Amino acid sequence: MSFTATYKLSARLFWRDKGMLPASVITPLGLAIGMPTLMRNVQADGVAAAAQMFAGALALILAATAFLNITVALTMRRDQLVLKRLRTTRLTDRQILLGEVANNVTQTVALMIVSAVAVHFLADVPLPRNPVLFTVFAVAGSAVLATLGVAWTAAIPRGELAAPMTLPFFFLAGLASGAMGTIMDLLPSWLHPLLAALPTSAVVDVVRTSYGPGTLGSDLAAAAVPALALAVWAGIALLSIRRWFRWDSRKS
Amino acid sequence: MTAIQVNRLSKSYGKFQAVDDISFEVEAGTVFALLGRNGAGKTTTIELLIGFQKPDTGSVRVLGLDPIKDRAQVRGNVGIMLQEAGFFPDLTAGQTVEIWRDFTPAARPASEALELAGLTAKAKTKVRQLSGGEKRRLDLALALLGRPDVLFLDEPTTGMDPEARRNIWEVVRDLAARGTTVLLTTHYLEEAQQLATNLAIMDRGEIVVDGDMAETLAARVGRVSFELPSVIDPGELPLPATVRGRLAVVQAADPDLAAQTLLGWASERGLRLRGLEVRAASLEDLFLELAQNHETPPNGAPARSDRPGRSGGARA
Repeated sequence: MSFTATYKLSARLFWRDKGMLPASVITPLGLAIGMPTLMRNVQADGVAAAAQMFAGALALILAATAFLNITVALTMRRDQLVLKRLRTTRLTDRQILLGEVANNVTQTVALMIVSAVAVHFLADVPLPRNPVLFTVFAVAGSAVLATLGVAWTAAIPRGELAAPMTLPFFFLAGLASGAMGTIMDLLPSWLHPLLAALPTSAVVDVVRTSYGPGTLGSDLAAAAVPALALAVWAGIALLSIRRWFRWDSRKS
Repeated sequence: MTAIQVNRLSKSYGKFQAVDDISFEVEAGTVFALLGRNGAGKTTTIELLIGFQKPDTGSVRVLGLDPIKDRAQVRGNVGIMLQEAGFFPDLTAGQTVEIWRDFTPAARPASEALELAGLTAKAKTKVRQLSGGEKRRLDLALALLGRPDVLFLDEPTTGMDPEARRNIWEVVRDLAARGTTVLLTTHYLEEAQQLATNLAIMDRGEIVVDGDMAETLAARVGRVSFELPSVIDPGELPLPATVRGRLAVVQAADPDLAAQTLLGWASERGLRLRGLEVRAASLEDLFLELAQNHETPPNGAPARSDRPGRSGGARA
């Protein structure tokens, strides 16, 4: 009853929130499909460039649909005192947040799959060689980003600041994953490992593995470090939520 | 049976002592009013009772359970109407109730909850288009969904017109008659007097008056007020009176008898007592009395009034 109820509610609100859909669905989907398609048509090695760009653009979906969306939605619900009201029901705190995160993961993974299929048809990018690896990291990455989004709400004083305080991560994620072209090459080298440690970068690395040549063994080896990175980010997010998450805008 | 037990409860926020060592009990099936001015500690007390806040010291039991440790069990048996809580503005009142039914075991049908709260006509109206009073009614509909044994109402009729308020009183009375325990806070003293059998008045986190409503009021004095005739000196009146401007006020345990005495005295002298008002003791008088005591503390501490009988189930 309880977890599915919050999941259903969150899903309903996600698609009803017309103000957020441009940021949570249209922009990331447009970029993840549009940029690889553009690459396919303007670059000499069109398909390879499109595939490279597509994997990078998935970081934008993760940053917008998972991280930014849940941060804005939860901060607004906190300000509207809706979270406070939800807590008057029989739902536990965990069920309320899990419902939000699970819905967010569903929408994010759905967009990642839709864009993978779209670039297959529009930009000739092949489907992943290892779809299981792709899916596992799409789900895990979305879950970690959504959980980080829940944690990040604690740092945001009020709803209208949620988007501006979250947007820098969108650009950072795109920069680190190569979705913004080769700007990375212009950055100082000491910054590279930091950007590579972002949870979005971990997912993008494994997605590239799932598209490239390899075997099950090489796939697992390539996924080990990114999996560890995601686990560390998940731990940080969960500890932060336990310590700092606010249900009510008035009290700390 | 005791539905709510509060034992030496305290809660502070930094240096601010919101609730200071209060104790009271609420018998099952009764309506208990928690009164006090803004900032007196009423809402914090409710938040402690429903497990939103953790007490610094002391304990709370609702239906014999700890609202924090046994949260799911307690929440399954209580209805909560917070003083301030939001809705999803783009959902209709009906949709809101339907969604809340998903969170509520053995919930009433949505139509029944809306009808109880007097909101049937607004079922298809978006929450953002409801008036303040209508939102309070939607609040009540949600609080009543799970057929609760204990109902917490934090200022339930704020923003309602008089007719809606009376309708809500009917609902609360009816629920109490069927055995629901109700703890309510309100600024409307008439509301407390109409609904509650027991009360506690809080001031600066402490309970300053508590007990059975009827006994508490019986222990206070009523008042007779009138315009002092211009030819009369206050010292000539048959009863001691305080005079402010031209308004004379006589306080008396039996205000009817005092009025008769005054009228007889005036009639003998061929005088008329214009603007004569006779009032039995009311919560309002009690409140004003407390406020006056509060404003003139002898040593900087809030003055405490006499504590009436404790047989009503509350103790401080």
